[in-house]
Amino acid sequence: MSAGPETGSYAALFDASPTTTKLVTLGNLSRVGARPPLGQYVRLLWARRHFLWADARAKVASGTRQSLLGKAWLVLNPLIDGAVYYLVFGLLMKNERSVDNFIGYLLIGVFLFQFTTQSINGGARSVQSGKNLIRAFTFPRAALPISVVLRNLLNLGPTLVTLAALIYLVPPAEEYTWRIALVAGALALQVMFTTGLSLLVARWAAALPDITNLIGMTMRVWLYASAVFFSFDHLLANNPELKVWLEANPMFIVLDIVRDCVLYATTPDPMRWVVLGGWAVGTLVIGFVVFWRAEESYGR
Amino acid sequence: MAADLDYPMPPTAQSAQRPLTGAIPMSVQAPPYTGQLAAVRPRSGSTPVLWPTVAVQGLRMFYRTPSTDTSHGRRAKMKRAVLNVMGQEPKVTVRALTDISFVANSGEQIGLVGQNGSGKSTLLRIIAGLEKPTKGQVLAESTPVLIGVNAALVPDLPGEENVRLGCLAMGLSPAEAQAAIPDVIELAGLGKSIYLPMRTYSSGMAARLRFAIATAARPHILLIDEALATGDAAFKERSEARMTKLREQAGTVFLVSHAAQTIEESCTRAIWLHHGRLVLDGEAQDVAVRYRKWAWAFAKDKPEEAKRILEEAFAERRETQVRFDVPEPPRGRVRERHARPTGRDAKQARAAAERAAAIRAERSDL
Repeated sequence: MSAGPETGSYAALFDASPTTTKLVTLGNLSRVGARPPLGQYVRLLWARRHFLWADARAKVASGTRQSLLGKAWLVLNPLIDGAVYYLVFGLLMKNERSVDNFIGYLLIGVFLFQFTTQSINGGARSVQSGKNLIRAFTFPRAALPISVVLRNLLNLGPTLVTLAALIYLVPPAEEYTWRIALVAGALALQVMFTTGLSLLVARWAAALPDITNLIGMTMRVWLYASAVFFSFDHLLANNPELKVWLEANPMFIVLDIVRDCVLYATTPDPMRWVVLGGWAVGTLVIGFVVFWRAEESYGR
Repeated sequence: MAADLDYPMPPTAQSAQRPLTGAIPMSVQAPPYTGQLAAVRPRSGSTPVLWPTVAVQGLRMFYRTPSTDTSHGRRAKMKRAVLNVMGQEPKVTVRALTDISFVANSGEQIGLVGQNGSGKSTLLRIIAGLEKPTKGQVLAESTPVLIGVNAALVPDLPGEENVRLGCLAMGLSPAEAQAAIPDVIELAGLGKSIYLPMRTYSSGMAARLRFAIATAARPHILLIDEALATGDAAFKERSEARMTKLREQAGTVFLVSHAAQTIEESCTRAIWLHHGRLVLDGEAQDVAVRYRKWAWAFAKDKPEEAKRILEEAFAERRETQVRFDVPEPPRGRVRERHARPTGRDAKQARAAAERAAAIRAERSDL
C-alpha cells in the first residue's frame, strides 16, 4: 500500500467523518448467530434430525466404500479384533481358567467399550473437523458430536449382530433367556452416557485442542479399569475399597449388566441400574448444557 | 495478509467517542436463528415501504495469527526461545474489519467492493452468523443465508446424494429437499455425472453443484460471495438467471464481486472496503465508479493518484452510527442505554471536524 509519511492525515480523516445516526427499531430484529435459549436449542436440534441421520449414514457408507469387501468390513473388523484379543488374553495369558465363557466375556467387553472410545475420540475432534460445516451453515453445533455418536451407533449394529451369533455358535454356546431384552436398556443408557461425555470433551477440545492428546491415554486407563480383558474378582475378594470404585464405574456396570444377561443368565442387581441411570442422565444433561453454553465460540 | 499490517491505523482511542454503540440489553433480544427461512414478503406494488432488515453495529474482527515476518513482534529472547521450542511462531494481530456500521433495508441490493483481503468475505460470514466478531454485533430480521462455494459435501457420495444432504444441512425438511432435487440437478447441468461420486468431479463441476445446492434455499436475506464467478460460459448464463430470480424473491441482497461492473448493473447501493475499513457507502454507480478508478490507478502503478481517490472517498464518507430503539423495556429492569454524547465527547468531535476541514481546505488549495 501507498502508506507514506502522511499517516497522520488518514487518522484525522477517520476522526473527522461527519456522522449520521441511524435509529433502528429493534422490533423484529434479533442478533445473528446468538445462542438460543436451551429449550429452543433442543427444538432446533430435533428439527435437524433428518440431516443428522443422513450425514451419519453417509459417513458410515463412505468409510467402507473404498475397500474391496465394502460393508463386509463392518462385520469382519469385530471378528478379527475378537480373534486377536482371544489369542492374547485367552490363549497366551491363560485368563480363560478364571472366567466362565471367557471368549463371550472378552468380546462383549471389547466391542461395547470400543463404541464409547470411538465416540469420545471422534466427539473431541468433531468441532475441529466440522469446521467446514460450521463455516457454511447455521445449525446447532451440538449436532457435530451427536452425529459422531450416531455414526458409531450405526457401526455398532452389525458388530452386535456378529457378537450375538458368535456367543450362540462358539462353544460354550449360551442359550438366550428373556433377559436379553434388558441388554437394550443397558445399551440405551450407555449411549446416553457416551453422548453426554462426547459433548463435554467436544467443548474442552474446541477450547484447547491439546486435550485430544490426553483423551487417548485417559481412555486406555479407563479400559483397564473396566474389566474388559480380565476379571477383577480375585482382586476384589480382599480389597473392598477397589470394589466400591469398580462398581461406581459406569462402563464396568454396562459390561457387567450385559454379561449377566447374555452369558450367565442372571438378572442384574437393581442397584446397578440405579447407578448407571444416574450416570447416563447426569452426564447427558451436564454435557449438553456445558456444550450449549459455549455455542457462539465454535465458529472461530 | 502481511501488507495489511503496514496500513496506517487511526488511533483506536477514538472509538471511545461513540457512546451510542452500546450493546443492546440481553433481555430484549428476540430469539436468534429459527432454523427456518422467513417467508417471502409480498412485494408491495408501486410504493415500496422500506424497513431495516440488517443492522451492523460497530463491527470489528481481529485475528491473532502466527507470522513469519521478522519485523513484527520484537519480544524478549527468552520468550521467543521458549515459544520456538514449543513450535509456536510469533503472533501478530490482523485487523480484518475495523468499526463497520451500516443499516440495510428491505429491497436493497448491496454490493461489496474492495481488493483481495479487504474484508468483504469476512463481513459476509459475520453477517451470516458463521463467525463471531471480536466486537460489535449484527442484527437481522431473519436468518441470513450465505451462498458461497463452500457447502460441505461428501466426496464418496454421488452428486445426487450430496444434493439431498446439502438441502437437509440448510434446514430443509426431507419433503422439501426431495422437491428441490430435480431443480438443483437441472441447474447444475452435470448430465449423467450427477450419478457419479463427487470425488470424480473436476473442481469446476464441484463448484457448479455447490452453487446449485445453495440456491435451493429461498432466503429472505441473501448473501452471495463471488458465486457468479464459477463455471463455464454456458453455466454462467443459467446461474445468472437463477441469481436474478433469487434476488427478486429476497428482501435484501449482499453481493461480493470483484467485477465492479456487476455491482453497478445489479445493485442499488455499494460499500467499498479497504483493509477492513469502510471507505464509502453510497449509491452503487458512484461507489463502483470510484472503486474502478482507484483500482485502475493502483494497477497502473500510480500510487499518488490512487491515494488521492481513496482520500477523497474517505473525506466524503458519512460515518453511520447505529442505535437501537428499544420499544419498551420489559418490566423496567433494563436501564436506558442510549445516553446523549457527553460534553467531552462533543468537544472532541468538534476538534476532529476542524482538523478535517483544515485538511480539505488544504487539498482544495492545491
